[in-house]
Amino acid sequence: MSNSHSDTIPLHASSQSDIDEIENLIHASVQSGPATVHPARPPSPPRASIPVSSSPFIQSNIPPPSSLSSSSSNQKVPSVPAAPPPPPPVGNSSSIVATGFGPPPNTLTEPVWDTVKRDLSRIVSNLKLVVFPNPYREDPGKALRDWDLWGPFFFIVFLGLTLSWSASVKKSEVFAVAFALLAAGAVILTLNVLLLGGHIIFFQSLSLLGYCLFPLDIGALICMLKDNVIVKVIVVCVTLAWSSWAAYPFMSSAVNPRRKALALYPVFLMYVSVGFLIIAID
Amino acid sequence: MEQSSYSNLATTHLLGSVPAVLNEEKKASYEVPGANMQIFPPSNGGGGYQTLGAPTEVFEQQPPNNWKGVFSISSYTQYFNVDTDVVINRLISSFYPIGGDFFSKIDANPDLYGLIWITTTLVFVLASFGNCATYLTQKHSDSSTSWSFDVSYVNVAACGVYGYAVVVPMAFYFLLRYLGSNASLIRFWCMWGYSLSIFIPTALILLIPVEILRWIIILIAGTASACFVALNLRSYIEGNDLPMMVVASFLLQMALAIFIKVWFFP
Repeated sequence: MSNSHSDTIPLHASSQSDIDEIENLIHASVQSGPATVHPARPPSPPRASIPVSSSPFIQSNIPPPSSLSSSSSNQKVPSVPAAPPPPPPVGNSSSIVATGFGPPPNTLTEPVWDTVKRDLSRIVSNLKLVVFPNPYREDPGKALRDWDLWGPFFFIVFLGLTLSWSASVKKSEVFAVAFALLAAGAVILTLNVLLLGGHIIFFQSLSLLGYCLFPLDIGALICMLKDNVIVKVIVVCVTLAWSSWAAYPFMSSAVNPRRKALALYPVFLMYVSVGFLIIAID
Repeated sequence: MEQSSYSNLATTHLLGSVPAVLNEEKKASYEVPGANMQIFPPSNGGGGYQTLGAPTEVFEQQPPNNWKGVFSISSYTQYFNVDTDVVINRLISSFYPIGGDFFSKIDANPDLYGLIWITTTLVFVLASFGNCATYLTQKHSDSSTSWSFDVSYVNVAACGVYGYAVVVPMAFYFLLRYLGSNASLIRFWCMWGYSLSIFIPTALILLIPVEILRWIIILIAGTASACFVALNLRSYIEGNDLPMMVVASFLLQMALAIFIKVWFFP
């Protein structure tokens, strides 16, 4: 049975062409549309759909005729050394899509750059939704449905690094204070809203508060480059107002209107303290 | 004695009533005429229940038991059940040292919101204005100094303020419990938290780099805050003769005020 071979996945030169085969299958299956999902193949037990794993993909019983040789580690794919014809959509009709995961199962085989690009584009689109003035701005309660934590992470670390570079003494302490303030602050602000009886999703709120730091990041960068106090004060005030404006609708819609100020004040306090740190670091 | 028969009483619609333990199989019969159950004053049902003995909870001053465990948020929401105007009202009343009625104001609904955010604001204010004030003082005496931001002010402020606001009420609570009188930790935390609010505008005024003026200001503010704490504590534990506690609370608050002056506004 193909399984016996499939525990070891040798990395031959054939692997590359196997990967190509998988890509072909995927493209073919995508073209053929989701209509062919789940042809209910009894012999295949439900499995985690890791394409290159040894789990028997559906086709284990119907290996395309040329595939038989050895390394059926790429199960859907007829193993290459036998110079198979490119497997027709035999393999596809249930193979990938039937796992129920749809397109994502190929994230393990795609180039790293594609993964990074996807995450970056998500960060950019979230930024556009949340932070930038947008006359078609969605209902803030539904903003950031597709939240992620990479964006906030980058922004917090960037802000900490910028402040740390700007400082002349105690650089590591400055970074620590900035990072702790922002990270713990986001968590505490979210908890504050929850404790006041508001309704938000914890990680969505963390994500949003992180994205709203973006203007302060720009402010910190400008202040690092230009060391004049007046300029700093003006830049920080502007970016502070921008950040607060971005965060305001989301936070205020999450709580009972009689408690709006109670929920918003801590947000304001956190951004003001970060703004003060930016101005004050010399 | 079937205590569970009380489950048939139609009292759950009354304010302050706590439903007795329901026992399904006994549901049938016994229907107490329960006339006196219907008429006791709804706001504080302690007296009414006692005629029936103690199967239902005596309504004491602790809130009804919503505790769902340490890690569940809903068990803490009862301490944040305040609106903006309530918080502002309590904040303003904390500026008047002579009132002495703070505990009666918060009795029904003590909140921890004030404690947390007043202390956090105070930490930020001390760290930021402390740095400014230090700079101004040095500039005053030696006009060639340049601005330097000492980030350790944040650490010291955080440890000092949070430590004081959490530990001192706990100490008083345990001490009072040990000496037998009734005390409520949440109310103590609430009161001490609001007592710190007067230091926030004080820190702003303390920026003025004149030494005598700073001492006068901090002494006034410290006295006001300490009187607030002491008088409220005295009115809370009245009936028990514990003047030492009141004096101790006064002195501790003054000590905090002096520490703030000496460390952050030298």
